[in-house]
This record gives sequence, structure tokens and C-alpha cells, in this order.
Amino acid sequence: MTRIRRLSAALVAAGVLGVAAPAGASAITTITISGATASYPLVNLLAQKYVKVHPNKVKFRIAQGGAQIGINDVKAGKVTIADVSRDPLPTDTGLTFYPIARYGICIITNKSNTLSNLTTAQAISIFTGKTRTWSGVPGATATGTIDLISRTSVAGVLTSFQTNLLEGKKVSSLAAEEASEGLLRQQVENDPSSIGFVSNYQSDKGTVNAVGLNGVACNRSTVVSGQYSGTARFYEVTKGNATGAALAFIGWIKASSAARKIISTQWVPIT
Amino acid sequence: MLDRLRQPWQDNRAERSLGAVAVLIAVGVVAMVAFVAVHAWPTFSHDGLSWLGPAPKGTSLEEQIATMQATGVNAPAAAYHLSAWPLIYGTILCTVPAVLIGLAVAILSSIFIVELAPGRLRRIAIPVIRLLASVPSVVYGLIGILVLVPFVGNHLITASEKTSVQNTVELTGAGLLVAIVILTVMITPIMVALICEALVSVPSSWREGAIALGVNPVRAMLAVSLRAARPAIVAAAVLATARALGEAIMISMVSGSRDFAPRISDGLTFLYEPFRSLASAIVDYHEGIGAPALSSALYAFALLLLFSALVLSVGGYLIKLPLRRYQVRG
Repeated sequence: MTRIRRLSAALVAAGVLGVAAPAGASAITTITISGATASYPLVNLLAQKYVKVHPNKVKFRIAQGGAQIGINDVKAGKVTIADVSRDPLPTDTGLTFYPIARYGICIITNKSNTLSNLTTAQAISIFTGKTRTWSGVPGATATGTIDLISRTSVAGVLTSFQTNLLEGKKVSSLAAEEASEGLLRQQVENDPSSIGFVSNYQSDKGTVNAVGLNGVACNRSTVVSGQYSGTARFYEVTKGNATGAALAFIGWIKASSAARKIISTQWVPIT
Repeated sequence: MLDRLRQPWQDNRAERSLGAVAVLIAVGVVAMVAFVAVHAWPTFSHDGLSWLGPAPKGTSLEEQIATMQATGVNAPAAAYHLSAWPLIYGTILCTVPAVLIGLAVAILSSIFIVELAPGRLRRIAIPVIRLLASVPSVVYGLIGILVLVPFVGNHLITASEKTSVQNTVELTGAGLLVAIVILTVMITPIMVALICEALVSVPSSWREGAIALGVNPVRAMLAVSLRAARPAIVAAAVLATARALGEAIMISMVSGSRDFAPRISDGLTFLYEPFRSLASAIVDYHEGIGAPALSSALYAFALLLLFSALVLSVGGYLIKLPLRRYQVRG
């Protein structure tokens, strides 16, 4: 009999603990985010800071995947916020876009290829697959076939690149497709005859050669000064209007000086 | 209360409970197949048998999948179009050569290990091979992407080979060749381990009898030992093929991940061309399952893989039937 009594006492104790633990934890809200790999470094920094200035209020779970993945996830109610690295499209119905930062999209080549500038017409010719050899590109020091490195179709940077730098032309289907900005940069680092495009955050690291566009170099300062034309915006996107913790977070990004300081390190605040 | 559990089971009760567990597993498998089939249905019903074929002119599998992702949550019927041929072809193209090469190597090396190797070597070789058979595939994938892919890209692929296909596809090093090489390395140890076991269990009196009748030892090995081990060889090949078909992560890492069907008309260059297999497509696209059209397509790939596993095991069984006469159990 004593064994049964002890057992039931243990069960009761476990039950009490089980009920008490979630009750204590429920004060912390979790904001789930998925989407653009390009804005991930920024959003990650912002989230860390936000948690620091609002202790024991919120938790973040940030996934990547690509802008379109974020859009689909937020539409389906799987996440609170989608990170998006392209402007709203007509298909993005029922969503609210909050711009949080501006960034430049840089065309990059391998370090050994010191190509310094392309015109828009040249860029279009290369990325649509019309020019296939480096001998057809004045200023390029690489030889042989051009290895086009692009992003998978869900990438917002790809959409922005096509709209803002290639005048709406599509990147050739010949191009290899990388799942993230980091992988693209790495591929360009390894392949001497490659060309690709990344946000200025990736090219400013200096491990690849950032190619200028129409005579303007591509880096953070030319994006800030407005000289570089190939820019796009990062958005936080919610289903309908943002509410609750998501609204507080987005409001903090737009208003607080701490967030502005983080954005200004590698990106450009929205003015 | 607990004391009753400590007592030995009565036969009838043990029979029922063990039977229940077995039935539960069977029900689980059937339920899983049914679940996958139900979710795969929308994509099959839109395309019928053309689902298995190549994409119609002017589109490509990559564009079809991009449409699925772009249309997102409320996908219209047109977004479901899918032509999975490049994936099916890619799967066959990397699996068949890997299994054939692996099988030849496995048979020869197990004959060596069991019949010819000195005892000390055999005692080391068999555990090492078992260990190799259990190396996780992602480790092989990592070696592939860090070592083999750059090597093939920088040293094997020539500039003229690149130029010859520059208007169809890019050669970066990741492609069919690396995938076949690593897949072969991955599945051969499994086959060696199984075939070794079967060869070891052939009664030595059988072979000794053959030698006593005047056959030389090599002949006796081939005619008696290997013959008796045939069912085990088939079983090893089936198991290895199943592993190769289902290999996802490694292929996703080294195949170049393009929905491209390598063209044999390009000559040997086709070995360098990128591709994607059914299993690696599930890995590559799984983040997009928020889009219902894409998630249905992924379930369809999974169903095709399940179906091929069924065909494999039934096929293996049918091949083994006539070989049973002198079989030893592996």
C-alpha cells in the first residue's frame, strides 16, 4: 500500500510542476520570423538588441529560406513576421509591408577578376546569357566561359536585382542557383570565372570583387549618398496590420536610436 | 500492482501483445503510404501520366517550381503543373552506375577477404568495413563539396568542355561524376559486409568436396561458394540500391542542384553536368512547403520513392526465388 501512496504523491507533485511551469513562462511572447537570407544578419542583430532592452518580454525564433518562403509562411499563419528583401508584388494581397532599411545590390566577381565597372546594358547582356565568355567583357581579367551564379527563385534579392538593375529582364536559366547570399558569395570566392550578385553587406566584407555599375562603385557609402542606383529595401511583413509584440518590435525598429545605430553599421536607415 | 508485471508472461498473453505490436507497425506503414498518397494526389490529378514526362517546350521544371512558390497559399490549378522527368532521370543516372560499379567491387573484394586474405587482415578488414557502412552520408557529402567538387571543377573540366556546353548549362564541378563516385563509396561497404557474411557461412565441406573432385581452388570458389551466396548478393544489391535511391543530403550537396537532365549527346562531358534526384529535390525545396502546390509535388516525389522501394523489394524477391536451391543464409 505504501508504494501506491508514494507513487500517487509523486504523480500529484509532477502534475503541479507541469501546470506551474507553463504558467510562469507564458509572460514571454515568442516572435517567429522567416524569410530573406539577405536581411537575416540585420534582423538577427536587431532582435538580439531588442531582447536586451526588453528583458523577459519576448523571444525570437528566426528562420531563413528566402523572401517568398517568408511571404508564404506569414500568409499561412506559420510565422508572425516575414523578412522580405523585395518590394511588394501584386500577388502579396492581405499583407502589410513595413520598410526597415535600404541596401545596395552589388554585382560581384572573384577577387582575381578585377573587373571594375559594367554598364546596365553589359550587365543585362551577361546575366541574360547573351554574353557567355569573359573575352566579350571589356575590363575583365578572367578568361573562358562566364559562370553565372544566381539565387533560387524564392530569393527577394533576385527579384530586386532583376527589377532594379536589369530593367526587368530575367537572369538566364543557365545560372547556377544558390539557396542563400552566403553560399553565393562563397561560390564566387571559389570560382575565378564566376559572376553573381549580393547585398552590399556581403560584398563589403572584401572577399570578392564588387563591380561598379554605370561608373559608380558599389558599397555602403555610395548607397548612403544616393549615387548608386541599384538599391532595394528590406521589409518586415505581417498578415494584415501588425499587432501586439510584432507591432512593438517593428515600431521599435523604426523609432529607436539603438535600432538606427545597428542599421547604420552595414545598411542604410529609411529616412 | 507492479508485482503482477514481474511475473512471467502467460503464452497466450505474450502472443497477443507481440502480435499487437507487429500489427501496429504494419498499420503505421500503410497509414504513412496512404497519407503521402492523399497529399500527392492534387499534383498527379492535374497532369496525369505527363507528370512523369519532360517539361513541354518553353518551360522547365525549375520554372514550374518557381510558379508554385510564387503563387503561394492560394495556388490556382495551373500552378500544379509538374514534369518530373529530369528528377527521375537524374535519380536513375546516379543510382544505376553506382550500384553496378559497387556490386562488382563488392563481390571481388569479399572473395578476397573471405577466401584469400590472411587471417589477421580478415579480422581487421571486416569490422572496418562494417564501420564504413555506417558513416553518415552527410560526412561523405561534406568531403564531396569541400574536396571533390573543387578538384573536378579546377582540374578535370577543361575550358573547351565548358565552352562546348556554355549555352545549355554551366559546369562548376558539382555534378553527376562526383555524385556517382561518392554514392559508390557509400554503398559498397554495405554490400561487402553482406556478401562477406554469406561467403563465410558457406560450409567449407562443399568447397572441399569440389576440390577433392579435382577442381582448382579458384574455380571451386566461383562455382560453389559464390553460387551458393547468390541470394545474399541479390539482397545486398537491393539494399544498396534502396540506400542509393533514398540518398538525399549527400546528393543535394554535390549534384549542383539543378533541375537539369544531363544530355548523353554531349559525350563524356555529360558526366560533369549538374542534376537533381527525387530525394534531393525534397531536401532542396522543403522550406517551400508553405505553398500547397509545392508541398503536394514533394509528397508526389516521396510517393514515387516509396513505390520504387516496393518494386525493388518485390523484384529482389522474384530474382531470389530460382536461386534458392543451394542457398546459404547471409
